[in-house]
Amino acid sequence: MHHPVAFVLGMAYIAAAIALLNGILTTIGQGNVASKAIESIARQPEARGPITTNMFIGLAMAETSGIYGFVIAILILFVQPLLSDDLINRLIASFSPTAANAACDIIACLPI
Amino acid sequence: MFDVTVPIHGVVSLFGVDLWITNTIVVSWVIMAVLLTFAIIARVKLKKFTDKPKGFQNVVEMMVGAFDGFMKSNGSPKIQWMGGWFFTLFAFLLLSNIFGLLPGQRPPTADWPLPFALALTSFFFIQYSGIRHNGWQYIKGTYLSPHPVFLPVNILGEFSRPISLSFRLFGNILGGLILISLLYGLAPVFTRFGIPVFLHLFFDLAFGALQAFIFTILSLTFVGLAAAER
Repeated sequence: MHHPVAFVLGMAYIAAAIALLNGILTTIGQGNVASKAIESIARQPEARGPITTNMFIGLAMAETSGIYGFVIAILILFVQPLLSDDLINRLIASFSPTAANAACDIIACLPI
Repeated sequence: MFDVTVPIHGVVSLFGVDLWITNTIVVSWVIMAVLLTFAIIARVKLKKFTDKPKGFQNVVEMMVGAFDGFMKSNGSPKIQWMGGWFFTLFAFLLLSNIFGLLPGQRPPTADWPLPFALALTSFFFIQYSGIRHNGWQYIKGTYLSPHPVFLPVNILGEFSRPISLSFRLFGNILGGLILISLLYGLAPVFTRFGIPVFLHLFFDLAFGALQAFIFTILSLTFVGLAAAER
């Protein structure tokens, strides 16, 4: 049986990893933008300047969702909203080493 | 270990409110001082500028000329009068983002309030230019379209702009800062010579310049879209 705070910390780290997984789809989208831009430059080399500018705007737009996931991961890792004093006290109060299923206790304690 | 929290240098009590003098405030005032000094020097030397530029005059003319071309190619003629603001924004963001190159310093844009304040000014510029150039048509076309029922959704969409704009800059700079700090804090000692140079080049210089450019051009595009004819 593990300590509930350790359980919450481990789950928070897994949650941060899951939040960072959206980088996969973001990268695919950015790759699409860049490849289309290079295709258009190859077709019309004289329009290189405007195409590059618009490509950067598109890349920044596609990057937004990835950055949101990154910010959420940073919040989970460093601000640690799940480890507020109140919640820790309630967790430790309800912690019983002999409980058969500690996860159920913890989930019942969460403020959701 | 590395630390993502911003160092606090002191607390000032003003009218009963505690103001925290964070590292961000100090560094941004230093950058403002540098920019102001440069501007004052350029203004004083403006009288001595000749038809045959050389030295300092070349640098100033190159910067102003490059940004004039940038404004002309990316902004509609209506918003050319805002060029000074966007030039200031770009210069401030560029200096802020590459401030991490100095030893032991962190870029002030890795603290969310600074990008959010800049994005809020962009937000107010968007609303101002839309109302100034299109008046009631702008409010009708942005907030009450296609039907007044959609007003809450439109307000939400409009207010998400400064948030996404600031998070984009903040996330990029903070990500670079964390990666570099990880290398300094966790990697073995022999990797700390030479290798950080490339990381600094990539994350501080290239990404910093790119993100400053993207912040400026996205603000410019939004303002231009708001000022466009409807």
